[in-house]
Amino acid sequence: MSAYTKAQPGSHHEAHDEDRAHELPYATQVRANRLGLWLFFISEFFLFGALLITRFYLWNVPGVGQTRPELSQELGLITTSILLLSSFFVYRGETAMTFGDRKTFTQSYLLAALLGLLFFVGVVVMEWNLFGLTLNMFGIEWFGHLKPSDGVHGGVFYMMTGMHALHVISGVGLLLIAWNRGRKGMYSVERHWGVEGIALYWHYVDVVWIFFYPALYLIGKAV
Amino acid sequence: MRTLGIIINSAYVRGLIGQAIFTFAGIGLVGGIRSAMGLETNVEPGVVLGAILGVIGFLLFAGVLTDWLKWIAGKKTPLRHGVPEGKPGWSRYLNVDVNHKVIGIQYGYTSILVLLVGGIFALVFRLELAQPGIQLLDAKTYNTLFSAHGIVMIASILLGVGAMTNYLVPLMIGASDMAFPRLNAFSYWVGIPAVVLILSGMVVGGWDTGWVGYPPLSLRAPLGVVLFLMGFYLNGLSSIASSINLLVTVSFMRAKGMTPFRMPIFVWAAVATSLIQFTATQTVGVALTLNVMERVAGLTFFNPTNGGDPVLYQHLFWFYSHPVVYVFVLPGLGIISELLPVFSRKPLFGYKWIALSSLGIAFVGFLVWAHHMFTSGMNDALRIPFMMATMFVAIPTGVKFFSWVATMWEGKLSFETPMLFVLGAISVFLIGGVTGPILGTIPTDLHLHDSYWVVGHFHATMFGGFIFPFFAAIYYWFPKITGRMYKESLGKLHFWLMVPGFWIMSLGQMQIGLLGMRRRIVDYEAVLGVQGTQVLITIAALVIGWSVLIMVYNLVSSARSKEMAVTNPWGSRSPEWQIPYPVPEFNYDVPFEVVGDPYDYGLDGSEYVHTQAAPVPSGD
Amino acid sequence: MDEQKKAAFRQGNIVVLLLAVLTIAEFAIAIVNGSTVFLFIIALIKAAVIVQVFMHVSRLWREESH
Ligand SMILES: [Cu+2]
Repeated sequence: MSAYTKAQPGSHHEAHDEDRAHELPYATQVRANRLGLWLFFISEFFLFGALLITRFYLWNVPGVGQTRPELSQELGLITTSILLLSSFFVYRGETAMTFGDRKTFTQSYLLAALLGLLFFVGVVVMEWNLFGLTLNMFGIEWFGHLKPSDGVHGGVFYMMTGMHALHVISGVGLLLIAWNRGRKGMYSVERHWGVEGIALYWHYVDVVWIFFYPALYLIGKAV
Repeated sequence: MRTLGIIINSAYVRGLIGQAIFTFAGIGLVGGIRSAMGLETNVEPGVVLGAILGVIGFLLFAGVLTDWLKWIAGKKTPLRHGVPEGKPGWSRYLNVDVNHKVIGIQYGYTSILVLLVGGIFALVFRLELAQPGIQLLDAKTYNTLFSAHGIVMIASILLGVGAMTNYLVPLMIGASDMAFPRLNAFSYWVGIPAVVLILSGMVVGGWDTGWVGYPPLSLRAPLGVVLFLMGFYLNGLSSIASSINLLVTVSFMRAKGMTPFRMPIFVWAAVATSLIQFTATQTVGVALTLNVMERVAGLTFFNPTNGGDPVLYQHLFWFYSHPVVYVFVLPGLGIISELLPVFSRKPLFGYKWIALSSLGIAFVGFLVWAHHMFTSGMNDALRIPFMMATMFVAIPTGVKFFSWVATMWEGKLSFETPMLFVLGAISVFLIGGVTGPILGTIPTDLHLHDSYWVVGHFHATMFGGFIFPFFAAIYYWFPKITGRMYKESLGKLHFWLMVPGFWIMSLGQMQIGLLGMRRRIVDYEAVLGVQGTQVLITIAALVIGWSVLIMVYNLVSSARSKEMAVTNPWGSRSPEWQIPYPVPEFNYDVPFEVVGDPYDYGLDGSEYVHTQAAPVPSGD
Repeated sequence: MDEQKKAAFRQGNIVVLLLAVLTIAEFAIAIVNGSTVFLFIIALIKAAVIVQVFMHVSRLWREESH
């Protein structure tokens, strides 16, 4: 079964790392990466779509129509705005890199990662109330509005925010990786697929929340 | 001694050790936290975390994640190609390798191995069914075995599909490799801990839900069900990653002149398969995740006593699990279309129609899922449209059948083993196809639902759509992969044992189904009058099992023989047969150009691939 | 070069403003009548803007890399 062991004299398949003749040209590889990432987004669209379908299926009460749990509207609006803002900074960072402005790029990505982390805290620490805190300020209860065991409302809310938060936290990790590599001077105007790909991923996470926010906080009758 | 050292240090062994360590660490971690918090004893959350960590441990220890970890640390990560310094060539197959041919073969032998495991499960519970009453197995073990048989066979088929698409597609389109070689390796390796999870689920209590895992039964099943659900999920992950890889490869890496309608027809089947895999798989992932979360985290989705709805699970589940049947059969049907012209020495009839019919099947497959739910208490008004849509599947499938018949018509047929398996596939898939509409029609389905008729129908589609063509493909490309020819006499013996074995098994299953034998049940009444057929089915299953072992022996012993095969024994026009053994690391050292249509067999002066290299001797 | 860069940044500013306005509009609609259709349409518009401008979807059809 040693199909690929014997090197043929004169052919280049006794390959070494520096032998890149067979590899795709960088421009083609980037196009391939881009298509691959977009296909991944389409794939994930079915994941988040299935969760949305679950929400509209289970939160539909016969005779009442669509319902939603009673949540803090203020907290929802604030976390949503934070995520939009972080998407904006990622756009700035990526645009800066295309023009060779490394400083703006690294600063924007770091800021976006921090905003992403803030969003994560808003969901996991405040909405979920992971640490069992209480704070009542401006007449608003800031921590914990729904328990996971609160019937289908609790179940779907925790599942949807949880699945999204998983993407947020991995996105924060990716942004920090890009920031770190950028700091080390690893990207260039011609070659910065890492910067672009991570930006695409982060915007996608934002797009998902654009649909999740109304589905969880706005649509239906609060019960 | 050195051989043993390489085996012990292989990615499989290292990965399994990593999986064990991480799994127990996860279980211990959660157990410790829970006892510190004074919570009641419940091992399940620990098992879930342990399973997740175990998979990461496997990938980490096997070396799948090494390059990505380096990337995270901000280091350069060039791809490593070829055999590692100072190691024998076969060691590549036991370790993480990024070459698509190596990965394809890894998929292949893993698929056959897993197929044997799933087959043994079936044989064990078939023996139990040979007589009414309980003889060999208690009900619990029986339930675990048939459930595991289902999901293990699905894992095997997905691996087999991976074997064919990975090995063949880059060669057929003239690419040097897949577009994302590391992701390709990941897709294969993540399937190994998945199988481990499923098999370990059988040990820790087993489960009794079948491969569908319907709630609320799955919410009450023993611990094993959680590991089954998670193993299933990982198989899906592997599927998604490899299908995206394949779509990008076909989009960007075709040789010069390889326009879409000049690709070998199997590539079209692989593309249609991938289109299903990378979308629908996510919805079953959601169904499985919700199921696990409902059990472990106390969330409510499906349990009606808390306000959930079990029918939702069925919708999410079948939105994937109907189309996935086409993931299993489309590559097989592609193999049939690929091989028929070669052994008929005639052009493939209606190339474009076959290519588009694959896409058509994939598309219609998305609109029919609820035909599995006619008895589930779904909205009555929805049943008719789903019944109609189901019947439409027959149109693109019929296109393929007519085209196959027309391809063979007045051809110069020869009957080597691959051709025999192709003809077997066509006949078996035909019977699988025509027994389907009876289940897709509401009134007859109400009667036959959950009966052995379903089992017979399903096994006919799987054998005709996957098993027979897969074996045909193995025999057909064996000389390309190993440079040796298999033993024709043993190949024919395999076929002539398997065909009658299969027909007795499948028709027998349909017969007892009509007589009222239910599926998924350990015992039956003697007065049903099915015992004679049950014995026949069991004997037939044993014959099929032995015939597969003959194939394994044939492949292993032939691969070790000294005698080399000719380069193009079948006189194929496909590019991979135009280069001698062994195939170079990056497939085509001399680039080729496509100048004609792929299947113009028997047409004077026609040319498909044009290369500067010297022509190879043909066995034709 | 510098002009192009400024224009690209300006485009980002416009988009984020538009997104902010649409988000507030969503909030207002939810308070007034909670129309699912309106909310869905606004979400679609927001997503389309991000896909078009932030995610450069048209690059998928472009031959060169950057
Ligand atoms: Cu179906």
